[in-house]
Amino acid sequence: MSMSMVVSNSYLDSILKGQPQLPPSSTTWFNQLRAHALEQAGTLQVPTTRDEEWRFTDISPLTRLPLRPSHAISAPQVTDVKRFQLDDTTIRLVFVDGAFMPHLSSRLEGSEHEGLVVTDLSVAVATHASVIEPHLGRLAGFENNLFAALNTAYLHHGALIIVSRNAKIQKPVHVLFIATQAGTAIHPRCLLIAQGGSEVTLVEDYVALQDEAYVTNAVTEIALENNARVNHVRVQRDSMEAFHIANCAVSVAHASCYRSVSVALGGRISRYDLNARLEAEGAECFIDGLALIKGRQLADTHTCIDHAKPPGTSRQSHKCIVDGAAHAVFNGKILVRAGALRTDSAQSSRNLLLSARARVDTKPQLEIFADDVKCAHGATVGQLDHEELFYLRSRGLAETAARNLLTYAFGAEIIDRIPIASLKYQLEQIVLEQTEKTGP
Amino acid sequence: MIREGSRILLEVRGLRAVVNGIEILKGIDLTVRSGEVHAIMGTNGSGKSTFAKVLAGHSAYQVTGGSVLFEGRDLFDLSPEERARAGVFLAFQYPIEIPGVANSHFLRLAYNTVQAQRGKEELDPLEFEDFVRDKMKLLEMNPEFLDRGVNEGFSGGEKKRNEILQMALLEPRLAILDETDSGLDIDALRIVTTGVNKLSTADNAIILVTHYQRMLNYIVPDFVHVMRAGQIIKTGGKELALDLETRGYDWVGAEQPAMAGA
Amino acid sequence: MSAVLQNLVNQPYKHGFVTEIESDIAPKGLNEDIIKLISAKKGEPAWMLDFRLKAYYQWLKMDEPKWPNVKYPKIDFQAISYYAAPKPKKKLSSMDEVDPELLRTFEKLGVPMHERAALAGVAVDVIFDSVSVATTYKQKLAEVGIIFCSISEAVQMHPELVRQYLGTVVPVGDNYYAALNSAVFTDGTFCFIPKGVQCPMDLSTYFRINTEESGQFERTLIVAEEGASVSYLEGCTAPKFDTNQLHAAVVELVALDNADIKYSTVQNWYAGDENGLGGIYNFVTKRGLAKGTNSRISWTQVETGSAITWKYPSCILQGDNSVGEFYSVAVTNNYQQADTGTKMIHIGKNTRSTIVSKGISSGHSNNSYRGLVRIAPTAAGARNYSQCDSMLIGDKCGAHTFPYIQVRNQEAKVEHEASTSKIGEDQLFYFAQRGIGSEEAVSMIINGFCKDVFQQLPMEFAVEATKLLGFKLEGSVG
Repeated sequence: MSMSMVVSNSYLDSILKGQPQLPPSSTTWFNQLRAHALEQAGTLQVPTTRDEEWRFTDISPLTRLPLRPSHAISAPQVTDVKRFQLDDTTIRLVFVDGAFMPHLSSRLEGSEHEGLVVTDLSVAVATHASVIEPHLGRLAGFENNLFAALNTAYLHHGALIIVSRNAKIQKPVHVLFIATQAGTAIHPRCLLIAQGGSEVTLVEDYVALQDEAYVTNAVTEIALENNARVNHVRVQRDSMEAFHIANCAVSVAHASCYRSVSVALGGRISRYDLNARLEAEGAECFIDGLALIKGRQLADTHTCIDHAKPPGTSRQSHKCIVDGAAHAVFNGKILVRAGALRTDSAQSSRNLLLSARARVDTKPQLEIFADDVKCAHGATVGQLDHEELFYLRSRGLAETAARNLLTYAFGAEIIDRIPIASLKYQLEQIVLEQTEKTGP
Repeated sequence: MIREGSRILLEVRGLRAVVNGIEILKGIDLTVRSGEVHAIMGTNGSGKSTFAKVLAGHSAYQVTGGSVLFEGRDLFDLSPEERARAGVFLAFQYPIEIPGVANSHFLRLAYNTVQAQRGKEELDPLEFEDFVRDKMKLLEMNPEFLDRGVNEGFSGGEKKRNEILQMALLEPRLAILDETDSGLDIDALRIVTTGVNKLSTADNAIILVTHYQRMLNYIVPDFVHVMRAGQIIKTGGKELALDLETRGYDWVGAEQPAMAGA
Repeated sequence: MSAVLQNLVNQPYKHGFVTEIESDIAPKGLNEDIIKLISAKKGEPAWMLDFRLKAYYQWLKMDEPKWPNVKYPKIDFQAISYYAAPKPKKKLSSMDEVDPELLRTFEKLGVPMHERAALAGVAVDVIFDSVSVATTYKQKLAEVGIIFCSISEAVQMHPELVRQYLGTVVPVGDNYYAALNSAVFTDGTFCFIPKGVQCPMDLSTYFRINTEESGQFERTLIVAEEGASVSYLEGCTAPKFDTNQLHAAVVELVALDNADIKYSTVQNWYAGDENGLGGIYNFVTKRGLAKGTNSRISWTQVETGSAITWKYPSCILQGDNSVGEFYSVAVTNNYQQADTGTKMIHIGKNTRSTIVSKGISSGHSNNSYRGLVRIAPTAAGARNYSQCDSMLIGDKCGAHTFPYIQVRNQEAKVEHEASTSKIGEDQLFYFAQRGIGSEEAVSMIINGFCKDVFQQLPMEFAVEATKLLGFKLEGSVG
């Protein structure tokens, strides 16, 4: 694809400089998709706080980060990444600075026999084109989204998971993105296609082997066909200086069920946009999130649950625990389109402020165009409950211990919904550690 | 109680009705005279609740055939509220909650509307309060239910009592009790049925729609009708209910297929 | 939702008459000369003209807000006449001298003026196409030191007070419509309650737009000094025209220590016809400054009219322990659009705010609640509770909830809840089965839904509001 395009903004310019030349693919539509995305990116501006969708999240520090192409370093060895492995997960895809690492990934050959394709996208584009083409770059539209457009323009390596009709995959699929170099822009990509009646659990996991600034710009697309069930766990534990921008688009078909738990721990500035569209009768989605941040961190979660057809069900619980001078943002939209009758939707945004300088901006939002619906949302912001603290202290707990326990319990409610014991344990330890460090 | 000189209150002939294009009632015949208690029994889906709703005029059910005369008038000429004012009362199987509308306000409006229709005296809020509290004693209801929204947050048993309270207030000519026994514990069942018995007179009639025989131990029916697939397939006295209790519903149709539609 | 609901809705607008009164209309368009003309006509001091011009030049640099969830063709601000006063036949000294045609208008409107004013115990200031026509009860109020007059008169008689407070709550460049209002407002109400005085009666203003191509830009300023309290009522109507009229008012309230201002509105501007033709664009800035310790500002609004409503009566809770309240019922039908809500800005310690919003949408209308609760870092111990409920009647309308919650203080507590409901077929059947017709059933359900807000209205207003909602939604359910 051509890199000699006219770019309308200097940020894009710097991104382009920071990107290695991609080898053209042998697949025409794939090349076209990338070219179209690049062209689109050239027409879009970097969002500012004047854009309603970015009102509380100033990403100008990101645009000031000088970027350079990632260089071929000696890839990390198995021992370097062992601590990120999940004991109960044997299907694993590992990417280092965006590049697929077969030597760190589990052997994938045999898994196809169990109704599962887990492979690198750059290879599969040729081998599984007919399955991929209807979804790739189509679920996560990039017409008005600079970051999705950039990711799509740099489509190369990525995780592809196809679950065959009626296959029930017991082991979770762990997709691990490891960042190792400062000053790089990485564009991780996942595509999960759950065919009719299938079941799978996907863990999308972002980690770092260093503490410096870099950009992760991820896009995930998930298609649930009729009667499929997908558990999607997303853990963002990028470095504390990293910029993490992510878009996830999910399409939920007839009688299928999408469950997601996303946990944001890392990143100097992180932004996660999750759009779930309930496309057909009986579609369900359960979307939960936790942001646990401190210091100067900013974590922004934007979700949209789009009830397009009757009757659909959705539940959402989003929690933020904010310490230091950190800033949590939540914007949760429930959209009920005309005709999406008997929609049943409930959403809650609960926020815990642990320090005097902590800050929360939350906007749960209902947009309803059908009358026969049940929709409710609620939001709370506050500190730990004095009565609860008092109760624990009256039972002999030190104040710090009581605070830690309550803070932990607040976050654990979301983490408990993760269906993978080892990951749950890892995250619980992180929350426990973080809450123990804080205190009055 | 079957009495000499009683009048015909309700006359149903060949009643057919559909919901969402599916025929549920397939020709029902039933005659109810003043002073009588009829029980309509049958399995789930036999059409007995549909029959109750069609008599009350629910818009989801379309009448496709037959006739219903109530005290000589064509019931289908009347809107649901006109039927209520004429004296047809339905105690709902699942009374709906109406948040924000105070129960006392609702009860008084219903009472005064029906009173006005009968050319009788309407009551102001204070008079009504005394009047309704008396009626509530009959059903052992706590007066605090007057201040809550209509059925809002009521338990299943409380909702059913509120239904019978309305029956007591409106003094209908024909009361149709749709599965009023379901969801009631034994004490609540006793209270509710005692209330109904006190309201039963020589001038009115009651149709009990029920799945089980147990309510009929408290409210003794003059006739028991068995419904299946939208028709009354057997009619008998109170002992029929006991037969159904011990033998189930299956034997009825098998024994007397010729009764169908009779 | 069926025909009964839809039929009941479209009752003719009962305030849709034009009063044949000679008007004194300024040429259309807006420029510095027009502003000077307005100022000159009113014989204003130089500082007032400066205020207007400052606003005008800020306005020129501003853009119309794009963020509200409303759609309308671009307004041509040069096609509007910015001044339309009923031509006074002579200087009025008592109610008996008011143009009888005007009085008949108020009769039709049901304004409790003249004899009826006495019975109702309400002092009324009537604003007719931007100019204050008569203020009743001025004398009685003056005895306790209360000033209740048109803002024009206040500029003449109490310039020091007006100058001290005007534009302090809503600065001239606050927003596009507020800037426009500051430049061109022609009249409005001024109300001053001195230290320690409890206003002995409800004060009331009726607004009416009567001329087809005029805008109405009234300005209201209410100041309650230390320990003072007042309850103020505002009613609005307009005749039917096929064109849209612009109404861009500004209301400023100032409450000093321990003062209490309650501001109630029943807004029934012409909403346009069943096809969305005509109707008022109601772009209003209302804001109260709870400046003093323990002060309280309470807004209650029943919004049933206007083609488009863009209105966020707000409270700046600056004084420690100050209290802000917002109770709102917004009803939209046909092609009406409402984007309304409130802002509660908590600055002082232990400030408290309550928001209760009830939105009812029917027809093809869109009804949005948009609210901001901001807790500043200084607002330790601040509390907010918000409840926003929507009711939809029919499947062509929309209900939207946009609550913005911004918290910068950990010792604050903010709670927001919202829900959506409808008037169900089954609810109506239940009523019918007890002999209650659908009109009455709908009215009961709606009134039950709005109960928490109606309770906040003064008695006569509550009755009027209940009736208004009845009119508005009759026929929309069934």
